[in-house]
Amino acid sequence: MLEEIKEKVKEKFGFESEPYDTNILLVHGERNSLRELLKFLKEQGFKYPHTVSVVDYTPKGKGFQVNYLLENLELKKLVMVRVNLPENDLTVPSVHDIFPPLQPHEREAWEMFGVEFIGNPRLEVMLLPQWAEGWFPLRKSYDFKKHRKPSKEKK
Amino acid sequence: MGNSIATAGYTFVVEESKEVSGEDLGLLQEKLLQLNWGVQHPASGPMRLKVWVDGDEVVKVDPDIGYVLRLLEKLVEYRTWINAIVNVERACFIDNFGTMTGYSIAAEKIAGVKVPKKADYIRTILCEGGRIVSHLIGLGSFVGVLGVHTPMQWALIAREKFLDAFEVYSGQRIATASIVPGGVRYEPTGKFIEKMVTAVDFLENEFIPRYGEVFIDNPTLKVRSVGVGKVSKERAIELGLAGPALRASGVSSDIRKDYPYAAYGELDFKVITKEEGDAYARYLVIWEELIESAKIIRQAIEGLPEGDYRTKFPVKVPAGEAYVNVEWARGCFGFHLISNGGTGPYRLKMRAPSFANLWAIPEMMKNVKLADVPVIFASLYMCHGDIDR
Repeated sequence: MLEEIKEKVKEKFGFESEPYDTNILLVHGERNSLRELLKFLKEQGFKYPHTVSVVDYTPKGKGFQVNYLLENLELKKLVMVRVNLPENDLTVPSVHDIFPPLQPHEREAWEMFGVEFIGNPRLEVMLLPQWAEGWFPLRKSYDFKKHRKPSKEKK
Repeated sequence: MGNSIATAGYTFVVEESKEVSGEDLGLLQEKLLQLNWGVQHPASGPMRLKVWVDGDEVVKVDPDIGYVLRLLEKLVEYRTWINAIVNVERACFIDNFGTMTGYSIAAEKIAGVKVPKKADYIRTILCEGGRIVSHLIGLGSFVGVLGVHTPMQWALIAREKFLDAFEVYSGQRIATASIVPGGVRYEPTGKFIEKMVTAVDFLENEFIPRYGEVFIDNPTLKVRSVGVGKVSKERAIELGLAGPALRASGVSSDIRKDYPYAAYGELDFKVITKEEGDAYARYLVIWEELIESAKIIRQAIEGLPEGDYRTKFPVKVPAGEAYVNVEWARGCFGFHLISNGGTGPYRLKMRAPSFANLWAIPEMMKNVKLADVPVIFASLYMCHGDIDR
């Protein structure tokens, strides 16, 4: 079943895919046609979205990586769609209207990494306190020492 | 007496920016009220639901979370492969075995380590023990929000027996840190097995018949929960519900069955599903899973093989990544683990089932009565440590 999806994606979008795990297919996508790709996968039965997982590869000079994980609940197969973003342009189209459950996941990814999901209606802080907006604590460049609260003042 | 609420000094928020108190309270009858359900509500836990009501009808709900954020995903990056389990298990302390198992399987996949069969069986026993402990609290607190606190006490008595077994096994009752990449940390002694059997015996012979007689087919409970928060099969997938809430809507999704891990592939159990999709169905799913879990523990203890319980796990793990799903007590818990060849994880993303369930609430609570808010909330069976991570 995943072989079929692999060929269809290659034919329709020209994206390469490879087996990621026994039941997971990894699709190397691009942000320009990300929405069409996810819409296509939804039509193919991958209706249940799991999460949006962002990885910060900036120390290795590879920018950011956004992974979408979708499951086909009937055939019990998963697809991971991967999009690479350059460090100086952290924008990716939002897919909240295709997969409504991903909206809060995108929101979390935005507040933790600063990846902007264009079109997401609610990019506001959720888990972090209001005053920590824009700190992006899960980035590798986040400096704990800089944000540490000063301990008691020295007398 | 008259307007006692005004003299008591309560204030209500009419719009987000406008507060009303004292004599102006009469205005409230014509406006939408914003109520803060939580942080101090007995059923809410450390979170807040902003509930807009029109009279008794809920118009809009917006969860406000982040009260127990510990940023576990970041903390893990500062640990070694083995040490990271103490952060992973704290995603939710109630069922800590499931999260540790998922993380360990992911780490083993990257390192290419094969776990001995005995370790798989002990993981299964512990995971099911954790599931029972968690489901007991889930059952107790569901009836608890309806105002009856006896079942919680009964559930805690049964839970104690399992905590005793965990204590004999690992020395800790709650945060056990007992499952590591490469196997499990301790040899399962005869005493541990004995305690586990005692706990399962108590559950099956004492708790289940007694609880089942009073609190399952209970007419008062049914009045409050049948037909409340109803979600159809298609709607459940669309909302992205997870775990027991998804299965109560008729979607047969259980990672233990679909993508077997640990020893689940060799054991015989069934996936509980219900068609109704209301709060009562979700309660029944938790109840029947509890009975099923006890059977799994018995099978796993019977089939416990001889041999090593742990293999060597390398200090440095080659670069690579893995995505692993496990069926945790509250649903499908996903781990996206990445190694860059160092002594610890480069990045760990945890996909929490409670987070998914929480964000289905605004859709599920439209046009329900205010009194149904706690019922729907408790039936979704969420854990706050898991939502915030």
